[in-house]
Amino acid sequence: MSAKSLSAGSAPPGPVPEGSLRVYSMRFCPYAQRTLLVLMAKGIRHEVININLKSKPEWFFKKNPLGLVPVLENSQGQLIRESVITCEYLDEAYPGKKLLPDDPYEKACQKMIFELFSNVPSLMVSSFKLQQNKEDCSGIKEELKKEFNKLEEVLTKKRTTFFGGNSVSMIDYLIWPWFERLELMELNEWATQTAKLKLWIAAMKEDPAVKALLMDVKHYQNFLRLYLQNSLEACDYGL
Amino acid sequence: MSGDATRTLRKGSCPPGPVPEGLIRVYSMRFCPYSHRTRLVLKAKGIRHEVININLRSKPDWYYTKHPFGQIPVLENSQCQLIYESVITCEYLDDTYPGRKLFPCDTYERARQKMLLELFCKILDYQNTTFFGGDHITMIDYLFWPWFERLDVYGVADCVDHTPMLRLWIAAMKRDPTVCALLTDKHIFLGFLNLYFQNSPNAFDFGLIC
Repeated sequence: MSAKSLSAGSAPPGPVPEGSLRVYSMRFCPYAQRTLLVLMAKGIRHEVININLKSKPEWFFKKNPLGLVPVLENSQGQLIRESVITCEYLDEAYPGKKLLPDDPYEKACQKMIFELFSNVPSLMVSSFKLQQNKEDCSGIKEELKKEFNKLEEVLTKKRTTFFGGNSVSMIDYLIWPWFERLELMELNEWATQTAKLKLWIAAMKEDPAVKALLMDVKHYQNFLRLYLQNSLEACDYGL
Repeated sequence: MSGDATRTLRKGSCPPGPVPEGLIRVYSMRFCPYSHRTRLVLKAKGIRHEVININLRSKPDWYYTKHPFGQIPVLENSQCQLIYESVITCEYLDDTYPGRKLFPCDTYERARQKMLLELFCKILDYQNTTFFGGDHITMIDYLFWPWFERLDVYGVADCVDHTPMLRLWIAAMKRDPTVCALLTDKHIFLGFLNLYFQNSPNAFDFGLIC
């Protein structure tokens, strides 16, 4: 996972060995982090190839015509893209701890909660960009607070620590990467009004998969600064 | 005549009673492509259901207890469980009810259908068999169908002129018993659209006899 990224001009990797699984990723990408969390949580053996998103290898478009990470590739050469789809695929294809509930209604509930979260990523990006340009982002932050309150309501109604019950499950992993980056976005002050979310964040930080991938906020800050400047070295910051 | 040919419930209407045991209810609107997906799956799987049409320009106050923003479709079962978002309702029905499975059994094939759904707008590059999932109709075909049924009405039928595979797919879909059973006449659609763009609350009941 600490491997240098592959850039334009690099040789394509060979086929995925039998019994293994490969994920095309980028160390700072929250979407790819979802897939890595699920791989960790289920103890699935895998190899990681990091992609330089500022200088994508030509061969990568054969893995995903959209050129985005994460992408899963198995030893049969099957490719799965879109972070949520990769996570569901892993839960279905691999044994061990089931992250999605078997009960159809409970499964549907997790997906409906996920819909409630859907505005958060773009609002966070907008907020950060305004912040970087020293523009007023109070409007966006108010919008974000509203979105967080929806999630707070869910936890209040359910009266459980996690979004799927009393232990961590798929929905928690799918939304976690953005909460890990909150400090970066200077959004910590909202936490005082969302008591249940605060407890959830603390509980998530104790989860082994989350802990294994947890990154220092300074690293994210430096990566993001370089990334927004379109630096070719952004994706390998800290290596 | 389709099983959903009833007048919409509007503001001021009484809330419906609980859903009887053995039945599932869908809150819908006859011309909405999203609730059309749910109705296609209910029909294809032979699920006993009742339809309550909602007047989207004059929503009943009680409807917000079914969906926080008053959207359709929403499924309600006899245990008072509510499920919304069209794709989530379709997956829930496929998971819950026995009989014909619309999503494929193979994990990779299921993932592939979900990827196809993401690329709804870029479908042309991905069709290499009669139906989108292979040689017979599966979930992905029903999820796409409502928009193609409306192509003719919206006057954009020309966009499949350069896509013979897609035209063949449309023809094949029109031969499917489930699609046929729910097919809405072009003139009824046009009548609805005409009233809808005039902001008429009567749009949603256009074409009903009673």
